Amino acid sequence: MELCHAVLTTSLPVPVLDHWTLPNGVRCVAAEMPEAPLTCLDLWCRAGSFTEVAGEEGMAHFLEHMVFKGSDRLEAGAFDRAIEALGGSSNAATGFDDVHFHVLIPPTQSKQALELLMDLVLHPALEQEPFCLEREVVLEEIAQYADQPDEQVLQQLLKQGCPDHPYGRPILGERSSLLAMDPEAMRRFHRRRYRGQNCCIAISGPKARELRATIESSALADLPSDAHPTAEPTGLKLLPGRHSIELPRLESARLLMLWSGPPAHDQAWVMGADLATSLLGEGRRSRLVARLREELRIAENVDMDLSVLEQGCLMTLEISCEPKDLEQVEATVHEQLEQAAPFSAAELMRGRQLVGNGLRYALESVGQVAAQAASQTLWDRPQELLQPLQHLQTWSEDRLSTELMPLLRPDRACSLIATPARRR
Amino acid sequence: MAIPELIVDRITTPGVLAAKLLLPWGSATDGVGQRGAHQLLAATLSRGCGPYDHRQLADLVEGRGAGLRSDANEDGLLISLRCTSEDAQELMPLLDWMVTAPHLATEQLELERSLSVQALQRQREDPFQLAIDQWRRLVYGATGYGHDPLGVIDDLQQLDEGALQALAAQLTSGHSVLALSGTWPSSLDDTLLNRTGEGWHNTGEAPPPPPVHWMHGAEGDLIMQSIDTEQVVMMLGQPCCPHGHPDDLALRLLQCHLGSGMSSLLFRRLREDHGVAYDVGAHHPARAGASPFVLHASSSAERAELSLSLLHQSWQELRNQPLSEDDLTLARAKFRGQIAHGRQTSAQRAERAAHRRSLGLSDDHDHHCLERIESLQAPQLMEAARRWLQRPHLSLCGPAGALKGLERRWDQLQSSAATGSS
Repeated sequence: MELCHAVLTTSLPVPVLDHWTLPNGVRCVAAEMPEAPLTCLDLWCRAGSFTEVAGEEGMAHFLEHMVFKGSDRLEAGAFDRAIEALGGSSNAATGFDDVHFHVLIPPTQSKQALELLMDLVLHPALEQEPFCLEREVVLEEIAQYADQPDEQVLQQLLKQGCPDHPYGRPILGERSSLLAMDPEAMRRFHRRRYRGQNCCIAISGPKARELRATIESSALADLPSDAHPTAEPTGLKLLPGRHSIELPRLESARLLMLWSGPPAHDQAWVMGADLATSLLGEGRRSRLVARLREELRIAENVDMDLSVLEQGCLMTLEISCEPKDLEQVEATVHEQLEQAAPFSAAELMRGRQLVGNGLRYALESVGQVAAQAASQTLWDRPQELLQPLQHLQTWSEDRLSTELMPLLRPDRACSLIATPARRR
Repeated sequence: MAIPELIVDRITTPGVLAAKLLLPWGSATDGVGQRGAHQLLAATLSRGCGPYDHRQLADLVEGRGAGLRSDANEDGLLISLRCTSEDAQELMPLLDWMVTAPHLATEQLELERSLSVQALQRQREDPFQLAIDQWRRLVYGATGYGHDPLGVIDDLQQLDEGALQALAAQLTSGHSVLALSGTWPSSLDDTLLNRTGEGWHNTGEAPPPPPVHWMHGAEGDLIMQSIDTEQVVMMLGQPCCPHGHPDDLALRLLQCHLGSGMSSLLFRRLREDHGVAYDVGAHHPARAGASPFVLHASSSAERAELSLSLLHQSWQELRNQPLSEDDLTLARAKFRGQIAHGRQTSAQRAERAAHRRSLGLSDDHDHHCLERIESLQAPQLMEAARRWLQRPHLSLCGPAGALKGLERRWDQLQSSAATGSS
């Protein structure tokens, strides 16, 4: 019996989602997980780096930092202290499309934590002195990433592949753009982006649904709705090409390749791409790992990823190898992608199992459940957690060969060769 | 019998089962000139065992959408399986075979050796890895906890196959633990209850005791490496007591106070008060021997001296002034939170269960700790700090120009601490 069918038809204790929308457009989703030791509160907003306009580069991420510097009601540090005193933890992350703030908290404390989180994110104080101090922290974060060759290589790839698109810019921004910012500009960004239709709250854990009343009377319900939501541009056009750089602190060579695909709302395509990246790069029996690392033994690490993004998904391949093997590695990758035989039934079965079980394993933790539910709901795709598996069934060996693999041709990729700079 | 002790934790999951087989042969037991041997062995165990060669094994595991890993950490060799409950009966025997009937085929061993060497090379790109590696060498020397489990390139290249075969033969002896957590398929009852222990040996052979000794400053208390970076990475710390030692709980509360969460002392002091670092924390892994207790931060070259002073001040305060009642209450809450955070998935639960048992701790050890923290008071934490945190050792990695100033600053700070001045 095939996995997807099995998973979808058996009575696994998969959290059922409850979706609803507040009058101001805020999307809400609750996942009941009665035996979880913690509750996750996850507030998402369509305020990633993509939404920055000229002069705001890095602001979405900087604002994520500033949120934790206090609100109109909470002094700087008061939120962290209150959450951690309740036995919880909090964090946040900024992406290209969205930003999210999450709290893990013992279930008995979730109501109080929810009220604190709403206040913190929706009414940040954004005062001058903390603004300047936190900017120093962000500059340290930028310096830390600059010292990691892996990060530099990936950023360079995005810059070359998406030169005219926000996805090609560093989410952290540049030193110069950060130094030019002030709190008032950040307030404008916050007012513009943190509006009802742009927000989603996800709750997962024991008695998650009981927080509905708290949400409906929280600051989230008071967010202004947008009478005329801004039309957001779409259409990511990747610029194919082949580039090379030398980096002084690189110890092994890298081959990176980047491809673009349809945006995230094409869920059928997303699942096909997930399947293809698994068949090519996940596990010893995947095509690229088997050929490059196991048979030819010319690669140390092969990593293939799919980033599901609203303006167009990105697929990346990253291979590390000895500099002397780089040429053969690149030729072999091209050969595998250009002249590959169609996937066999056994390979397809394997890929479906890997992708399907990956989703199933993610259902164990409240954090992953909340993130998965919110990231779909925020972008108008409310659906049950295992719903994406239905799309897997539609990808046959033939369909993968004719519809998906051509998108991964080497001539459609932006490639970057990174080699260690010669030491003096 | 040396058959692994079995721990079963039946919980409700989305049909997932995690298994952790923990053997008492970690990288701390790597012999002289064999640093990395246990990790190399661990990696090769998953490349063919029992009736399956390396391809058949990968086909089986990946074909079920399962995850199978084998890694050495400092104190043990851990084999981890995660699969759906319906596949558990078919996959569980692999854990036994990997230990009792590994193939260790020469060509697979050579592949893993090459991958380990290249991974070690690549690790050198990370300034944090460089800083912690040299801190280990400074305080633990050439054996025990003195190296990354992945090993040392020279040793790996010299390791002969016979030595690895001998290490593999040892794996079936000593006290090992098999912990399972998740949705329990009834088909596993027979498989596990009828284990015969075939292939496991009760030879009386056991790994050497965990390393409790360290260098005590014989090589000085500072180690530096010049690299071409924007930031300086700082690691300041000292080996202290083993996990489960009577003082361990006090030190864990201190670690919560210093480095757990955004309300922690280091976060507030370095990030919120001075804005001199992004990544700060306190590293205190649970080890069978002298566990490191390390404060870390990375700062731009021009601000690194202030960061170092703040780290040193934070360290000294642990020994010189008791925590306030508020800070102690907060540290206790964080400790409770850490326990809850570490019990979210079946894999986390199984690993912690195996870890406790392997260290000779009771299954309700964590529960007892939660009770004991209520009665631990600030003076007891300070006494523990005075016993275990009296000789900090510093590792620095960063641009040469900054290191000179930091060396001078470190000397001043240590002299002041010795004379009791600020």
